[in-house]
Amino acid sequence: MSNFVILYYTALIGASCLAAYYKQRSVFMLIFSLTLVSFVLGIIGGAGALRFVATSAFVLALAAGTSYAFREFLILISKPGLAKELRTAPLTAAFGMFVIFTYAIAGIFAPWIAPHGEAEIIGQAFAPADENMLLGADQLGRDMFSRIIYGARNSVGLALVATLLAFLMGATAGLLAAVKGGWFDQLMGRTADVIMSIPSLIFALLILSIFGTGLQVIVIVVAVIYSPRVFRLTRAVAGNIVVMDYIEAAKLRGEKDWYLIRKEILPNATAPLIAEFGLEFCFVFLLIAGLSFLGLGIQPPTADWGSMVRENATLISFGDITPLIPAAAIALLTVAINFVVDWMLFRTSGLKEQ
Amino acid sequence: MGDLTRLVFKRLGLGLLTILVVSVLIFFAVELLPGDIAEAVLGQGATEETVAAMREQLGLDRPAPVRYLEWLGGAATGDFGVSLVSGERVSEAISDRFVNTLFLASYAAVIAVPISIMLGVFTALYRNTIFDRVANVMTLTTISSPEFFLGYILILFLAVRTTMFPAISSLSGDMSLLDLLERTFLPMLTLVLVVTAHMMRMTRAAIINLLASPYIEMARLKGTPPWKVIVKHALPNAWAPIINVVALNLAYLITGVVLVEVVFVYPGIGQLLVDAVAKRDFPIVQACCMIFAATFILLNLAADVGAILTNPRLRHPK
Repeated sequence: MSNFVILYYTALIGASCLAAYYKQRSVFMLIFSLTLVSFVLGIIGGAGALRFVATSAFVLALAAGTSYAFREFLILISKPGLAKELRTAPLTAAFGMFVIFTYAIAGIFAPWIAPHGEAEIIGQAFAPADENMLLGADQLGRDMFSRIIYGARNSVGLALVATLLAFLMGATAGLLAAVKGGWFDQLMGRTADVIMSIPSLIFALLILSIFGTGLQVIVIVVAVIYSPRVFRLTRAVAGNIVVMDYIEAAKLRGEKDWYLIRKEILPNATAPLIAEFGLEFCFVFLLIAGLSFLGLGIQPPTADWGSMVRENATLISFGDITPLIPAAAIALLTVAINFVVDWMLFRTSGLKEQ
Repeated sequence: MGDLTRLVFKRLGLGLLTILVVSVLIFFAVELLPGDIAEAVLGQGATEETVAAMREQLGLDRPAPVRYLEWLGGAATGDFGVSLVSGERVSEAISDRFVNTLFLASYAAVIAVPISIMLGVFTALYRNTIFDRVANVMTLTTISSPEFFLGYILILFLAVRTTMFPAISSLSGDMSLLDLLERTFLPMLTLVLVVTAHMMRMTRAAIINLLASPYIEMARLKGTPPWKVIVKHALPNAWAPIINVVALNLAYLITGVVLVEVVFVYPGIGQLLVDAVAKRDFPIVQACCMIFAATFILLNLAADVGAILTNPRLRHPK
């Protein structure tokens, strides 16, 4: 029994006793069941497995600590009204906001953060990590770390543009359909049905095979594929608002459609639309990452997370994890956005599920 | 009962109509090519004669609606024309691979469906406990990860660092079923992870929705034991959402399969489609898209019909 194993069990049992003493039931259950699982794990996997558990727990604790600190920071710098809302955010949402903030910084200041250019060849192909290259080199000898930083700008930027376009198209059509009704509503609804009845990745592949892979083509195709989702949501939300009395009053005053949309409907529909924007961004981001992974998205030498995974995939067969880092970057951002959206949906819907 | 069959047939008709519209979309999308297929495939270096010869061979001189009807008639009988690149019949290139893809998808479905429904019901019953929270965070993480990320993680840990399963699923005709199941284990596991997360969350939401309804509260208040509340009161109404969830996620499997096939070099139609897109082999692209879209629509249709059959309230639309 090494010192580590003794320390490990002491910490776990000590923590569970403390939790039990202070009547923290769920914390106690979690820690104590972890202790019991550790017995089994320790017998099967030895000290290595326990070390893995300890590292993961440490990483989790670190993430929780960061999120807590970040939430307090946000509460301190924001105005009283917003601060009150932020206080209700669970740690997962705070973590999400922290990750989004980090990505935004990395994307905006990429040329200053990255030590090398994104297409600059500075070493041997697949050179291992050294003090010059933090994560080693990729298949052409470019710095992996710099490319990941630039990827935050390219991949996220492209997805953001596509989402904005999808949102613009979908929301405008949805609002107009709700206000106008009649044949316009029917036409838009049926078009959305047809587009949604083809799986998104398949549709994207079909169109890309025809028009080739340019940035504009990708943005437009992805926007067209995902705008029906926005359309349906906007149509449903606006449909509930249009039947209100104050809309009737505005119509009787002789207000135009555009005024109705801008001044009467939109202010009452922002909360669900913002949440939908987050979700939509995740879908778009994953679709574009998938296309890039298939070699049909952002073209080289532009650094992009999806294609970086594809280009360096051979390293995986040597047991190296570097090709997974860009993929993990994609996953982390999507998880973060989902956490934030979860909280926002919960808050705006007043959904206090029992 | 006559009412019910009419409603089901109406849905089926609507589904067929959707497939028809989608086929129009898939066929005429290719017509949008700048120039035409012959010019696009042969490229700029082609002479007038070769382009003309290819047009002749593909019958491009005839009007598009006529060619569409021919294509549709062929597609209905399983004949999708000839590949532009290899000259092979598309139906031959697809048939074996389609069986492989179906095998992978059903392998994943057989394992994922029972597990996820059980887990979904479980998390719904023990909602807001720490286990529910952990499950929530874990499923969110799986859903948010790109399929290729999960696939490569599995390869790294289960195929490279510990050589438990083969990383590449090369199949040959004379393998025993057990061999086949072992070879396709990792792609199956990737799909199961993604689909289970989706299905579990949706099942959980459906059940929680149900448990909040007044008649369940009534059953609880009159002292019915918890298992009886679930089996006698909740489950009969839960079938509709559960069937819906299963069908929708099987439809999701169909698209998830494309990326997974590429990661594991699995000989299915997803891989074929991606190759064909890169080579701009339009007949194959059209055929694969048509197959994927039709399966997707049919599964969605199954979800609708299943919901109508199990939920009498849907039979009387307002």
